Amino acid sequence: MKNFEHVDALSLSEAISLLEYPGQSLAIAGGTDLLTQMKSRIVSPERIVNLKTIPELNAIRPNDRDGLRIGALRTLSDLAHDQIIRSRYPALYQAIASAATRQIRNQGTIGGNLLQGPRCWYYRGRFNCWLKGGETCYARDGENSHHAIFSDGPCYMVHPSDMAPVLLALGASIETIGPNGRRTMPLEQMYQAPHEGDRRPVTLQPQEIICSIMVPALAGNTRGIYLKAMDRRAWAFALVSVALQISLEGDQVKDARMVLGGVAPRPYPVPQAAAALRGKRIDEGLINETVDLAVTGARPLQRNKYKVPLTREMVKKALRELIGLL
Amino acid sequence: MAKLIRTKTEWEGINHEELAIIEGESPPPWPPGKQFETIGREVPAVDSAERVTGQALYTSDIQLPGMLHARILRSPYPHARIKRMETDRAASLPGVRAIISHLNVPAISWLNQSTILEPIVRFQGDEVAAVAADDEETANDALDLIDVEYENLPFVIDAEKALQVGAPRIYAQGNLVKGKPRIYVRGDTRRSFREADVIVEETFRTQTALHNCLEPHGAVASWDSQGLTVWESTQSIYRVQEDLAEAFQIPPNQIRVICQYMGGGFGSKQYSGKWAILAALLSRQTGRPVRLMLDRQEENLAAGNRSPTVQHLKIGARRDGMLTAIELSSVASIGAYGWSVLAVEGPVQVMYACPNIRTEVRSVYTNTGPARSFRGPGYVEGAFPLESLMDQLADELQMDPLELRLKNYARFDQTTGLDYSAKHLDQCYRKGAEMIGWNSGRRTAQDRGGRKVGLGMASQVWGGGGGPPAYAWVRVNKDGTVEVITGSQDIGTGVKTVFAQIAAEEFGLRPEQIIVHLGDTAKGPYDPVSWGSMTVSSVGPAIRQAAIDARNQLCGIAAEYLGLPAGDVNLRGGSIYIKGRSQQHMTISEIAEEIGEFTILGKGSREPNRTDIDVRTFGAQFAEVEVDTSTGEVLVSRVATVHDIGRVINPLGGRNQVEGAVVQGIGYALTEGRVIDERSGVVLNANLEDYQVPTALDFGDIDQAFINQPDNRSNNLGAKGLGEPAMIPTSPAIANAIARATGIRFLSIPITRNKIIEGLQLPAGARRVVP
Repeated sequence: MKNFEHVDALSLSEAISLLEYPGQSLAIAGGTDLLTQMKSRIVSPERIVNLKTIPELNAIRPNDRDGLRIGALRTLSDLAHDQIIRSRYPALYQAIASAATRQIRNQGTIGGNLLQGPRCWYYRGRFNCWLKGGETCYARDGENSHHAIFSDGPCYMVHPSDMAPVLLALGASIETIGPNGRRTMPLEQMYQAPHEGDRRPVTLQPQEIICSIMVPALAGNTRGIYLKAMDRRAWAFALVSVALQISLEGDQVKDARMVLGGVAPRPYPVPQAAAALRGKRIDEGLINETVDLAVTGARPLQRNKYKVPLTREMVKKALRELIGLL
Repeated sequence: MAKLIRTKTEWEGINHEELAIIEGESPPPWPPGKQFETIGREVPAVDSAERVTGQALYTSDIQLPGMLHARILRSPYPHARIKRMETDRAASLPGVRAIISHLNVPAISWLNQSTILEPIVRFQGDEVAAVAADDEETANDALDLIDVEYENLPFVIDAEKALQVGAPRIYAQGNLVKGKPRIYVRGDTRRSFREADVIVEETFRTQTALHNCLEPHGAVASWDSQGLTVWESTQSIYRVQEDLAEAFQIPPNQIRVICQYMGGGFGSKQYSGKWAILAALLSRQTGRPVRLMLDRQEENLAAGNRSPTVQHLKIGARRDGMLTAIELSSVASIGAYGWSVLAVEGPVQVMYACPNIRTEVRSVYTNTGPARSFRGPGYVEGAFPLESLMDQLADELQMDPLELRLKNYARFDQTTGLDYSAKHLDQCYRKGAEMIGWNSGRRTAQDRGGRKVGLGMASQVWGGGGGPPAYAWVRVNKDGTVEVITGSQDIGTGVKTVFAQIAAEEFGLRPEQIIVHLGDTAKGPYDPVSWGSMTVSSVGPAIRQAAIDARNQLCGIAAEYLGLPAGDVNLRGGSIYIKGRSQQHMTISEIAEEIGEFTILGKGSREPNRTDIDVRTFGAQFAEVEVDTSTGEVLVSRVATVHDIGRVINPLGGRNQVEGAVVQGIGYALTEGRVIDERSGVVLNANLEDYQVPTALDFGDIDQAFINQPDNRSNNLGAKGLGEPAMIPTSPAIANAIARATGIRFLSIPITRNKIIEGLQLPAGARRVVP
C-alpha cells in the first residue's frame, strides 16, 4: 500500500477535525476491510484516523433496559459473547456467528461491518467500474453469478453485511457525529442504492462517524431468525440471506419485518412480504403467498437466475423454522 | 561399486527406458511375517516440534545480512506488446537498488522458446519487470512508478476457441501443443460400437483449479566467490540446480540449492520458477542477497494451475455389462507456458478391461496462466468423466455400479500387455463397500432430516512405483548417532519421518534417534524430483540399502575387534550383541572408546525396475452426500477410502495424505474454480475469498483403510506412493453420489450451488442433466 499518516484520535471531535483534511483522510476501526482495499489500491488515503483510541466508542456496552445500545467499535466477537444478544436476539447472534471467520470477528467492529465496501470482484479488481467513478458496470453483462437480482442499475453489487439485514429487521437506528454535530436516524436510511447523483452505498456525510447502534427493546412474544446461504459452510459472503423478525399475539402475527441480504446493492427490505404476515396465522398457504411476494420484482442477470428460487426457499425455510419455534 | 544398468521408469503413468548408475547390491525385500519395530507403525512426524515452534526455516524465513527484497511487475493484460517502458522514476525512488526488464536482462531461455523477460506478455500476470529494494513496500511502490505502454493484442482464453481457424496465436507455430493430437488406438472402436447393445456418451468439462500451497513460491538468491546459493521452496533441489546452471551458463556444482522445510507443492514446484532466476539476476547486479516471494494474488495468477478440459467420452457395452469400446476426445488448455500434453487419457486406457479403445487428446496454448502438474495430473481430470459415465452406463443397464466395475476388472496392463507387479483393487472395492454400507440397500436416495442422501463410488489407477537414479548414505558416528544423508526433500508429505523409520528399522533404533539430512545439494547425493508420488519408492530403498551397508560394516569391525566370526555379532538398539550371549553387549560409543576416531559410511542406491512388469497403485473411494433439495446445499457427509499402495510404512502419515487429497478433491468437485472475465481476459477470483477451498466444516468423516500388502516385485521396501492416488477418485465419487441423491447428472465441475439449483428446476421425470 501507499505510505500514509496514521493518527490516533483521542476524542470524537478530534477525529472529525482530523478527517477534515485536504487530501483523502479515512477513519479506521478494525481495519479488516480498509486495509485490504488499501493493499489492492482501491483507496489510497494520505491519512488514516484511528478511532480505537476514542474511549466513548469503546466504553458503550450492550444493556437491555431500553433495548440495546452498541458502541460502534465493539467487535463482532464481543457481541457474540454477550448473553443478552445470545438469549434475546437470536437472529443477531446467528448473523454474527455466520460472518467471516473467528479471526476477522475478533478484529472487525460492528460499525465497520455496517459500512464495509462491496465485495464485487470487478470493484475489488483492477476494473475502473462505475462504482469507482468509471463508465460501466462490468458485472451487468459479465461474471455476475454473485450479483444483484434487485437492481435497476447502474450498479449490480450486493451489500455484503450480515449484520445489516438483521438490524434493519429489528428496526435499529444509529447515532452519528459529524461536522454538523450529532444526529440519530433509522439504520435503513443510512443505506442507498448507488445512483448517478451519489455513487456511494451509504448516505453518511464525509467525516461522519457512527457512534452507536440502537436496537429497540423487544416487547411481547417475539421471534427472530437469520439464515444465510453460502457456497461453502463458513468464511463466505451470503449468496442470499434472510432476516426475519416477528412479534406474536396468540398464534397471530402482530408485526413482521423481513430483510434480504445478498440480492441488492443495499440490505433489501421486502415490506410487501412482511405485510402479508400481519394479523395472520402462519401456515403453508401463507408461507407460499409470502414467498411469492418476497421475490416480486426480481430481475436476475445472466448468471444469477438461481438466486430467485434460492431466495424463495430461504424465505420459506425461515418461516418454517419460525413456526417450529412457535 | 557403481555400475551402469538399464531400467524402466514410470512418470505420471507413462513408461520410459533409461540408463542409470546404481551402487552395489540391493537387499532382498523383508521376509513375510517379519516382526517390525517401526515400519508399519504410526510415527508422528519427526520434525513436527520444530515446525510448530517456528524453528523450522522456510524459504520465506531466510534473512541474510544486507538482503534486498524483490517484487515483480506483472502484465494487467492477457496479451500485449510492450511498446515503451520507462523506469527512471522508479529507479530514483529512495531504497530502490535494481530494476530489470527486457531492456537489460540477458535472453535466458524460458518455456516454449520464450525468454525470461520479453517485450511481449502472454497472460494477465505474466512477468514484465522486477525491482529489488531495501524492503518489500518500497519495491511495491517502485512497481507503480514503472511506466509501461502496452499495445493490446487479440487474445484467447478458451482452449476450444484457441483451436478455431483465425484464433489469435500465442506462438507463431500455432496453439496446438506439438502441432498434432496424441492418438492411441487399441482394437477397432468403430466396429465395436456397432456391435454394442448400449452406448452412453456425454461431453464433460473440468475447471481450472489451483494448488494453493500454504507456502507461496519464491526464492532467496545470493552470489559469492564460490558461486550461487539459492533457497527455494521446491519439489526438487537438484532440478533447480540444473535449471539455474543452464540459465546462468555455469557448472551445476557452483550452485547450491537449499530447501529444508516446505509448505506444499502439489506439483506446482517441480521446476524452478522465474522467481529464482529473477532473484539471482537481481542479486548478481546488486552484489547483495535478494529475496523474492510471491504473494497470494501472484500465487493464483502465475504459479501454476490444473488445466481446464473439455472431454467427449463414449462407452459401448453388451447387455451383460461387458465393455466393448471406449472413445475419448479431449482438449485441455495449458496456458501460455504449460509444457506437456496432459495425460487425460490415462484412466480410460487402463482402468477397465476393454479391447477397443481410441483416445485423442489435445493440449492447447491460451492466454492464461501456466498449467503445472497438480496432484495426479491428467488422471484427476480424466477420472471424472470416465467414472461418471460408468455410473450412467450402470443406470442404463440397471446394474449396480460396483458390479459393473468388477465385471470389467483389468487383470493386466492393456497398454503394454505386461502383468502388474501387484493389484488388489478388487479388495479395495469390497472393503470400501463394507465401510460405507454399500450393500445395505441405500444405493437409492434416502431422506435424512429433509435432505436427500446418496452414495457414489469411483476407482483409481496411478503410478507411484519410483525408480533409479536415487541415492542415499548412512553415516555412523563414534558417539553412536546414525545419520541418513540424502539430496531429497520433504515437500510436506512426511518423507523425512519415513526415511528415519527405514534406517531405524535396520539399526534397531527409534525413528527419532535417526538424524535425517535432506534439502541441500551441498550435503547429500543426487535424489530425484518429489513428483509422481514416488519419493518413498525411489529414495526409501536406497536408504535401506545404505543402512544395511553401514550396519554390516559396523558389525564386521566389532566382530574383528572381539575376535569373533563376522556372523556372530549383530546390532540391536544401537548396541552390538554377541550371538548366544544376550546379556553381553557393547554400545557404539564403547567401541569408539576402544578404537578411537571413526566414521562409517554406508552407501545405497535405488535398484533398477524390472522390465517384465508394470508397477501401479490402485484404489477406490466411496462418498455419501446429503443434498438439501430446496436450497441446493451439499454436504459430503462421509468418504470411505481404500488404497492399494503396497506396504504402508507410516499409517499416520498415510492418513494425513489421504485426508488432504480427499479435501482437495471435495473442493475440486464442489467449490473451486478459476473465474476469468471473458471480455478482458482478467482473472476475477485471484484470492482466497472468491476462490473457495473447503473449510473444516465442509466435509464429514473420512474413513480410511489400506490393503497394506507389500509389493515386493516393485522395490526392496514393497512400498509405493500415495499422495496423488488419493485425490483421483474423489470428485467422480461425489458426482455419482449427488446423481444418486438427486437424480440429476452434472457433467461439469465444480458442482456449485448455482448448478445444483439449476438442476433442481429441471422437470422431474425428464432426463435431468446439467452441462
